[in-house]
Amino acid sequence: MRKLTLAALLGSALVATGVQAECDFDNPEPVSILANSFEAWKVVTDAMAECGNFEAELDNEFRTKQPTAFASSPSLYEIGGVSNSTITPLLNRDLIRPLDDLVAKYGDQVRPAQLIKFDGEVKAVAMMINTQHLMYRTDIFDQLGLDVPTTWHEVLRAAETIREAGVVDYPLGGTFQTGWNLGEEFVNIYLGYGGEFFNSSEPAVNNDNGVKTLELMKALTEYMDPEYLVSDSTYVQQQFQQGKIAMANLWSSRAAAMNNEAESSVVGKVGMAAAPAVVDGGKPATTLWWDGIVIAKNLSDEAAENAFRVALEGLDEDMVRKHREVAAWLVPGYEPTPLAKGAIESVQGGAPSYPSRVEIGLMHTALGNNVADFLTGKQSAEATLRAIESDYRTAAEEQGLL
Amino acid sequence: MNRKTFYLFVGPSLIMMLVFIAAPLISVFIGSFYVTRSVYEDVTVESCTPGFTTQTCTTEVRRKPIIKDNGEVLTNTVFVGLDTYRTLLQPERVKRAFTQGQWLEPFRTIDFYKALRFTVMFTLITLPFVLVVGLSIAMAVNNCVRTLRGPIIFVSLLPFIITPVIGALSIRWLFIGDGLITRGLEQLTGQDISMFAQGWTIELLMLFYRVWHVAPFAFVIFYAGLQTVNQDTLDAATVDGASRWERLRYVIVPHLQPLIIFVTMIHLMDAYRVFEEVIGFSSEAHVISLQWLTFDYLTPDDSGNRAISRASASSMLTMVGIIIILIPVLRRTWREHRTGA
Amino acid sequence: MENTIPNAMRQPPWLKVGTYSFLLFWIVVAAFPLFWVVVMSFKLPVDAFASNPLEVLFGPNTQSEGEALSLIDLAVGGFFLVVAYQLPVRLAQPGLALFAPGGQRFMGGIFLGLAYLVILYVGFGFLLPGITAALEVVLGWIPLVGLLAKPLVGITLEHYYAVWIDNTFYEQFKNSIIVTVGVVTISLTVGTLAAYALSRTTSAIAFWLLIAALVFRALPHSVLVTGYMPVFIQSREFFQMLWDTPILGVVLSAFSETPPTLYGQPLAVIAVLVAINQPFTIWMLRSFFMTVPKDLDEAARIDGCSHFQAFRQVIMPVMWPGVITTGLFSFLLAYNDYLVTSLLLDNQSQTMVPAITQYFNRETTATDQIEAIAAAASITAPLFLLVMVFQKQIVSGLTAGAVKG
Repeated sequence: MRKLTLAALLGSALVATGVQAECDFDNPEPVSILANSFEAWKVVTDAMAECGNFEAELDNEFRTKQPTAFASSPSLYEIGGVSNSTITPLLNRDLIRPLDDLVAKYGDQVRPAQLIKFDGEVKAVAMMINTQHLMYRTDIFDQLGLDVPTTWHEVLRAAETIREAGVVDYPLGGTFQTGWNLGEEFVNIYLGYGGEFFNSSEPAVNNDNGVKTLELMKALTEYMDPEYLVSDSTYVQQQFQQGKIAMANLWSSRAAAMNNEAESSVVGKVGMAAAPAVVDGGKPATTLWWDGIVIAKNLSDEAAENAFRVALEGLDEDMVRKHREVAAWLVPGYEPTPLAKGAIESVQGGAPSYPSRVEIGLMHTALGNNVADFLTGKQSAEATLRAIESDYRTAAEEQGLL
Repeated sequence: MNRKTFYLFVGPSLIMMLVFIAAPLISVFIGSFYVTRSVYEDVTVESCTPGFTTQTCTTEVRRKPIIKDNGEVLTNTVFVGLDTYRTLLQPERVKRAFTQGQWLEPFRTIDFYKALRFTVMFTLITLPFVLVVGLSIAMAVNNCVRTLRGPIIFVSLLPFIITPVIGALSIRWLFIGDGLITRGLEQLTGQDISMFAQGWTIELLMLFYRVWHVAPFAFVIFYAGLQTVNQDTLDAATVDGASRWERLRYVIVPHLQPLIIFVTMIHLMDAYRVFEEVIGFSSEAHVISLQWLTFDYLTPDDSGNRAISRASASSMLTMVGIIIILIPVLRRTWREHRTGA
Repeated sequence: MENTIPNAMRQPPWLKVGTYSFLLFWIVVAAFPLFWVVVMSFKLPVDAFASNPLEVLFGPNTQSEGEALSLIDLAVGGFFLVVAYQLPVRLAQPGLALFAPGGQRFMGGIFLGLAYLVILYVGFGFLLPGITAALEVVLGWIPLVGLLAKPLVGITLEHYYAVWIDNTFYEQFKNSIIVTVGVVTISLTVGTLAAYALSRTTSAIAFWLLIAALVFRALPHSVLVTGYMPVFIQSREFFQMLWDTPILGVVLSAFSETPPTLYGQPLAVIAVLVAINQPFTIWMLRSFFMTVPKDLDEAARIDGCSHFQAFRQVIMPVMWPGVITTGLFSFLLAYNDYLVTSLLLDNQSQTMVPAITQYFNRETTATDQIEAIAAAASITAPLFLLVMVFQKQIVSGLTAGAVKG
């Protein structure tokens, strides 16, 4: 009799695992994650959800919510999805748990290169690299006999040819939306020129490199949709999908969308290449970002352990095999697709990491709010850079950095 | 009604307003004179970022806030007096611009004055449109066949009741990029039109949205008022040979006077708070409003920094503005109270 | 000519033409953006973002994917819509009188509302598809007329399905109902009490209270939210002090062992919204109370009622139009609020409006965007019903009271 019940139990357990596909253990406690919202996070959180008892909140405003949510006790979310910049506030307020013990216990499948360490402690597990790189319409380039540009000046020349040929509405797309996007474009190009943002904590953008960066940005806008100040990545992605633009420096996480047959009219016609450099033979003028998971500090050890196991389920080989086109994964078992070519070439070309430090947040905001004044012709380049420095200084003084 | 009963009746409402409106207001007021800074220390850290094959580890000096034993960030709060207000208002730059005769310079380059310029203009320009459009619809509906009135009122109310965020987006979709109406206009004029490429077209859209959203409110109020216009007076005026325009001017408008003041007051208060439009039409590059400025200071950047002091100061300045706008109404209420008491 | 018929309402033809064309223009302007949102929500992304407006309207791709409506569907559907609109407009008042004789108007109203929803569900869920299917089969046989039964307008419900079923939007709907009902009832209860007292005194305190309320009404909400944030996040530490006090602490611990976190609590958000809403409620209700003659409560007082009894039994019954109108404005405020709810509620207790901006913020494929549009249309639907049912009350309520004061 007893044997029979055991067999029945085993049977039902097997059925249960069959339903909860691919998860190695049955998650007993509710686990939730707050992360950015793009395709890669969707597939990763879907994989985590296979363990059951799991809820994902994917929101572009996560950077606003995360520090407050993690500060409450117990933390409102067990897992956080972060990138190299958004981890800064969590690190600074000491809201995330060191993961060394958990990695030692459960992290056989994690590669050492995925571990994000600060001061000797593992604070996050990275899952993918994201970077802005060149996407271009192979059919148009073939038709016009253009080579894939490797510098921004070649991009401008190609844009001129494409404009003259009149094959698309606008030769170039750009994520120039005022605010964070525009700031990011400045950071990319400025670093490409070899610029330094700070002299210790003092701002240092009012220089030749700053002026050159602004002028290059302005030259690019000549070839863009005049509504460039409201175009974010989604908008540029749609312009690509609808065949309205021929080139853009767009996030690699958007590459898969080009081949989405339900939405795109340019399936198979978009090529990927490294981000253009600003000078001949220079490094790609873009910054590298990683995305990964952290575990909240304000949790019991058991809850943290449980959450970490769920999180790793999302980052396993299985997921990567199924979704290899979605991102440039760092997870073992990943075989790059042609879509990842741009990201990989940019990394190999030596593109720098986004300089995550406390000051850059303030600088990024100042850039995002002021660069538009130069592009619309309200201010001269020097005045714009001065305004950026003074905005930064005001904010830094208020924060106590200066 | 004696004092005790009065307080019993008013109590719950009063307590709620004190706790949830007055208290935060006072804390914000006090906060605007202080600056809370985190205390940073320089630490040398080795940080490693991932790569496809290898990691790159760098050692650098970073600034890191000091964490107290209880896990909170160590801060020190200092009294700075009017410094934060000075940062916002930049009196020296304004003075310099004025002495050089560049009167408009501050309104183009300094955030606060930019926001002030737009907010005030937005409020003042939309007001007459809301009143006139509202009154016109009310008169038109009042003049139309009875059976049609119900459906027309129903449709007219839609822009007013709809969730503002959604309303703004529904208009935005018609105009952005190659939106339906932009395309129509392009075909009509044969020109390439980009409504979101320059400041003034965005401003135009924002004005349009606000009038679209609020005119129905003015309409219902006026329509309700028109139902109580004394028919005999109107007939008498007609007998005396008053033209339609004169009847409107001398009978109907005076009758609606209190309502016009009511709508004006509500509209001034609401339009001065303009915020959804800036978000909905992503106009940050060209025009910003006062409430958006506060919101922007409150929004943390990637590194988690919020400009709380500047947010407090700018909300206080916004408050001053609203009180200035309300002065006529307050004086009128005061006079009524005096004569009534 | 006009002088011979002294009728101010008589209109010359030019005025009639002008009036009607102006109204037509206004109706188009008022309804078109929303109409377009609804149209887009029923199409596949390829159609919804097509550059030809006719393609958006007829949705050829959506049609070829399967579902489509014929002219017959549209005609019968239109007829049902008209009936659905006329039903509450015509029958609400007599129905209320039938079901709620005497003082139970409120319960009667709720009952009627529910009944209406059931009728809608049966009508649109079963009757409409049945009738159109039958008509199409019958008419499809007749040549020429059969064209009417041909599919014409592509339509797909998949985005609504995705929003409501896959993404469990009903959770947010439930939260919205909790917050909205909470705000409306509490705000009206607290507000009528205060407004009544304020309308019956001329003391200096009453005056200053009203002035303060006026200024509060004008406050930008971001100012208030600045003040709330820290308290809400760290409420547990704040409340710990209360829990630690000797006697009170014991009492409080009986309710819950640890003090609550306000962040993410619908009750806390309701309290905040009620407070924000109070100034307007008070002013509006006060002007309604002003129209109720003071003799009425004095008469009741002479009959031996206390102030509260007079208020409840004599004043309130004649106040319903005012309460309903004010209630509607409270409803709009609570239902449409974005700033407060998005900052103070967490994922589990989120209402629909902040949830929808999450859709827009979501990394957006075109499908996501249409889902966002479908969610937007879903949010608007209850507002639609509300105006339909209460339209008469809004106008008559405003005519009766507030606007005179």
